[in-house]
Parts: sequence; C-alpha cells; structure tokens
Amino acid sequence: MNREELYDGITDIREDLIDKTEKHIRQKRRRRRKTWMAVTAAALTLVILAGTFFSPLPMAPEGRNGYAVAEAAYPQMAPYPDEASYYNKMTDDFDDEAFSQDYDAWVTDRRERLDMAKACDADLEPFFTESARQFLSGFDGENRVYSPLNVYLALGMLAELTDGDSRQQILDALGEENLKSLRAQASALWNASYYDDNATVSILASSLWLNENISFVPSTMDTLAKTYYASSYQGEMGSQDFNKALADWLNQQTGGLLEEQASGIQLTQETVLALATTICFQAKWRNSFLESETAPDIFHGNKADTTCDFLHASRVQEYYWGEHFSAISLPMENEGNMYILLPDEGISAEELLNDPQAMAFLLSGGQWDNQKSLTVNISLPKFDVVSDLDLVSGLQNLGILDVFDPDLSDFSPMTRDQKGIYVSQAKHAARVQIDEEGCTAAAYTVMAMSGGGSMSAHEEIDFVADRPFLFVITGPEGLPLFAGIVNQPG
Amino acid sequence: MDDNAIIDLYFQRDELAIAETDRKYGTFCHHIAMNILRIREDAQECVNDTWHAAWNKIPPVFPKSLRAFLGRITRNLSISRYRAGHAKKRYAGMEVLLSELEDCIPGSDQVELVIERQELSRVISGWLDSLSPGDCALFIRRYWYGDAVKSLALEYGCTPSQMAQRMLRLRRSLKNVLEREEASL
Repeated sequence: MNREELYDGITDIREDLIDKTEKHIRQKRRRRRKTWMAVTAAALTLVILAGTFFSPLPMAPEGRNGYAVAEAAYPQMAPYPDEASYYNKMTDDFDDEAFSQDYDAWVTDRRERLDMAKACDADLEPFFTESARQFLSGFDGENRVYSPLNVYLALGMLAELTDGDSRQQILDALGEENLKSLRAQASALWNASYYDDNATVSILASSLWLNENISFVPSTMDTLAKTYYASSYQGEMGSQDFNKALADWLNQQTGGLLEEQASGIQLTQETVLALATTICFQAKWRNSFLESETAPDIFHGNKADTTCDFLHASRVQEYYWGEHFSAISLPMENEGNMYILLPDEGISAEELLNDPQAMAFLLSGGQWDNQKSLTVNISLPKFDVVSDLDLVSGLQNLGILDVFDPDLSDFSPMTRDQKGIYVSQAKHAARVQIDEEGCTAAAYTVMAMSGGGSMSAHEEIDFVADRPFLFVITGPEGLPLFAGIVNQPG
Repeated sequence: MDDNAIIDLYFQRDELAIAETDRKYGTFCHHIAMNILRIREDAQECVNDTWHAAWNKIPPVFPKSLRAFLGRITRNLSISRYRAGHAKKRYAGMEVLLSELEDCIPGSDQVELVIERQELSRVISGWLDSLSPGDCALFIRRYWYGDAVKSLALEYGCTPSQMAQRMLRLRRSLKNVLEREEASL
C-alpha cells in the first residue's frame, strides 16, 4: 500500500459518511450563527424636497402608524431551517427528510433571488467608481463609509419623482438609458440584495414622508411602492411628532446603529416630501478569527499613531495584487465578501480611489488575473467606522444639477400642486463594524509584502493592516453594499 | 431542486441536469478541487470534468448520495491530474495530504499486496463508524474534503497545533486498524 492508494481508499468510503459529515457541518454552522450577534452595518439616505410654506393642520397621531398611508409588504423568504428543531427530543433521531425538504426550499428561493440579479445586465461600475470618488475622497484623514447600493436606490426614487432634464441627469449619473431600464435594474438590485431568512440579514427599506397639505400623483406613489417597496407616511411637516416618527422609522430600519445621525434630521414646514432609503446588513465570517489571537498593536494613521485591537489569523487563501495595491478577501457565510485593499508603500488609500485598476478590482468579485493561493498571515484592526455625509456637492459633481435649482427643477410626476420644488437636503450616514465573528461592511487588511508572479502556495505572506486602507463589502452576486476608507479604526 | 429531480434529468438526458448540478454542487466540488489542487484554473477544469463524467455515468448509475458521488469524481479527477506526473509539486494541497497519509501506512509490505481498493474503503469506513461523530467529521473534512488544518482549527476554536495533534492521533488510530487488518489476513 502506498499513500496514493490510501487516498483512493478514502475516496471510496461509504456515501452515508459524507452525508453525515455534511449534516455535522451545517449543524455546527447553525449553532455558531445562533450565538453570534455582533455583526452589523447600516446605512441610510435621506433626500428632502422642499417647496412652499403651507399652514399646518392640527394633527396629533400616536406613533408612526398614525401617519401611515401605505406600508410596504416585503418579500417573504423561505426560512433557513433551524436544524435543532428537526431532532426528536425523545429519541434524538434527526428528521432528515423534512430538513432536506426545507433546506432545498431555502436554496431554491435563494437561487431565484440571485437569478434576478443575474438577469439584470446593467453595469454598476461607472456609478460605483464615480460615486466612490465623490463620497470617499477629500476628507483629510477622516474615516468615510457609504453604501453605493443605498444611494443608487435613493436616486432611483428621485428619478421617479422628476421629469425632463432633472430626470435625465439622474439617469445619466446612474448609467441608465430610461426609466424603464432603471426600474428593472432597481427592482433586480432590491431583490438580489434583500435577505431576511434566519441565516442572513440584509434588509433594505424605503419610505416617503408626505406633506399633508399637498396632493401627490397617485400613479407615481404606486410605482415607488411597487418598485422600491416604499411605505408612505403623511403628516404635519415640521412638527415634532412627525420628525420623531421619521427618526423612529430610521432607527428601526437600521437597528439603532445610526441613532445620533438620525436625531439630527429635521423636516421643516416648507418640506413637501422626504424620501428615505435604508440598508441594514449582518453577516459572519465563514472562518471566524480566534479571540485569543486578538492583541493590541499600533495603527499608523494619517495624523497620528494609535493603539487598537488587531485580529490575527493565518490561512491559505487567495491573495490579489495590482500595480499599486495588494488585497485579500474575507468571505462571509452569506456568500458575500469583504475585500480589503492595502495601498503599496508611498501610495495613499485615497489615491487608490483614482486608480482605475484598484476600482476595477473592488468590483471584480475576486475574478482577477493577479491572484495566488498563499498562506496569508492576516493582521487586521477591529474597527467601527461611521460617517455622516452631505451628498449635495457630490451629486452635483456627478452631473445631477437641476433638482437643486427651483428655477430649473421639474417635479411634475410628484405633484401638480406646486412649482419651484427643489432638493433642499441630501444626507447619507453609514456605519460598519467588524470583530472576530463577523463584519458588515468592511474589513481592512494591509499587506506588508508586495506581490509577485512567482510565488507558490508554500510561501507565506504577511498582510498587516496597520495603515489606512480601502474596503468594500459585497453581496452574494458581488453587488457593492458598502465601501469605505479606514483612516483610524475608531 | 432536490437530488432525485436532478438525477431524473440525467436519466431523461436533459442537459438542464448539468446546470442544476452546478447550481447545487458547484461550490462543494470546487471547494474540494481547490483544497487539493490549489490552482483556480485547474480546479475549475476539474469541476467541469466532474459534470462531464457525471453525465456519462448517469444512467446507468443511480447515486444514493449525489453529493458523495460528485465529490468522489472530483477527488478521482484531482488525483488523476496529480498522477499525470508532469507537475506534481504544482499541486501543493495534494502533496501535503499525501505526506500526512503516509503516517497511516502499515510497516509491512504484505498489506500492499492483499488489500484492494474496495476492501480498503470498507475497512476505513468501519473505522470511521467507530469514531465519535466529531472525530469522524474531522477526519473526513481533512482527508476527503481536503480542508486545511488551520481553517479547521479556526472553526473548532483551537490552535492549529492542537488541531494537528488531534489529526495525528486519528492517523495513528487508522494505522493501528490497518495493521490489525494485515494481521488478520
């Protein structure tokens, strides 16, 4: 007997042993999933369209429901089966048939949702590349994070409310030819990114906040409800109660992660309509980091050195490189990934935003020519980054101009009651945290050694994220859910 | 789609069978091939060859476990690539696996002559049955799936060296069983 014959002997072990192992793996992952609560990322966008002053009517509803005109019914998903509930408590037998049936239903449902994204052939790269430059650069060493998907959907809704050049400028910025293709794209993105199945949380939500003194075009509101799952609330603009209702909605949809930012949002009496979109995401690493390996180390920020906890692991995995960067991916259990992009020495993280190769990598979904399987010694700071952005100048730089000018804007699909309506606020807040168990938005890893074409899998490489880096969190189909720059781990 | 429905498609010679197999087991087979070959392009080719082989084998074969059936083909195709011989060292994962399996080989040359592949598999399966469910799954994940010791250590919440020790104990246990088998023959 030699070692290859032994390999063959192991290959042909009884089939039921493989099936039992697979169940063991699922059960183990399920247990870990249940005990893990730390991973979260959230983003919200608020666009407020303000027009003329109207005299408020007295109204004192209790809670948000008092304002509800219509509340969106979100898609129902086949739940990920809880394996523990398939065991007979008396006999400890596992109901394999029932479990397999439910598991297959979950897989089928999930696949159908992914197919929706595949069926949509729109190219998000131009919007992602341009918006990342606008919203992540020029902040002098501060952390920045935003959700491309969230901003995209908010702009999609804004396009529905506008016409003429106002709409065309938004379509151009999103890379869409017309409203029909935008709807198809937005609907596909929404469905491909929405998960709430016990296994993954990636919840998108939208809402419209309507001035009670204005009549809105019903067909437009219907389209927003159907395509963007937008709930509608109508009330007294500028009142404390209505502002509180909006803040409560935002906090509910973002799991309270952005309470501070949400508390600063105030609708005024002049507001005609506000639209809000949110995303709340939670996923765990496929391979978690050992808590015992976490240790403090120095992070060399742009302005100062700070000491923070670093996650450590050594793994055989894909290592990527480009002309000015190296990168790794941290796969998540939902089939998504966090890519961490470390600029080479002498290059800043912000400079990478203008590097077409780096931006192409962030959208490549790991399909990259320069990659090798290596033993990677990862050293990555735990971080919690939050940013609160004013989108106005960035959107104007993307060519969206008319909606901000009351003399040029065209909001006729929204309401025929008023002229001179314009966008008075556009804010975006986002937050990403990572720890040993999981992440939500970004992880950043820095690599100390530069890549080369002659490395073999036997070689090891240190990936030490001890200086500013870029990250992107992608969903199962590589859609960019969050992107950011970590200048200080927080 | 459940496994029986996929197998039915093979029996109907419906090419959708391959798409459905890829959809359900593509990640699984690619994981095995990548663990063993560690070269993405070769692993992908190996998975594509797995679908081709499955198409040729079903019918007449009706797999009891489609997962095990496909994984087994992937493993066989992986070692065929390795045996092609022109670039053995290229396949780092296989080299590491085989070198660890050397620990299980009985000292005597006799076994080499008498234990055939089918019998060897029966003995190994019996030995796996005797292990705790955790040890059984661990051995299969390392030596059938090809999962790395370090990633298993992370998942099981221990250090890589602790996991390597546990694997060594399992290999020694298998060696003892194979030696007893030799003695009985």
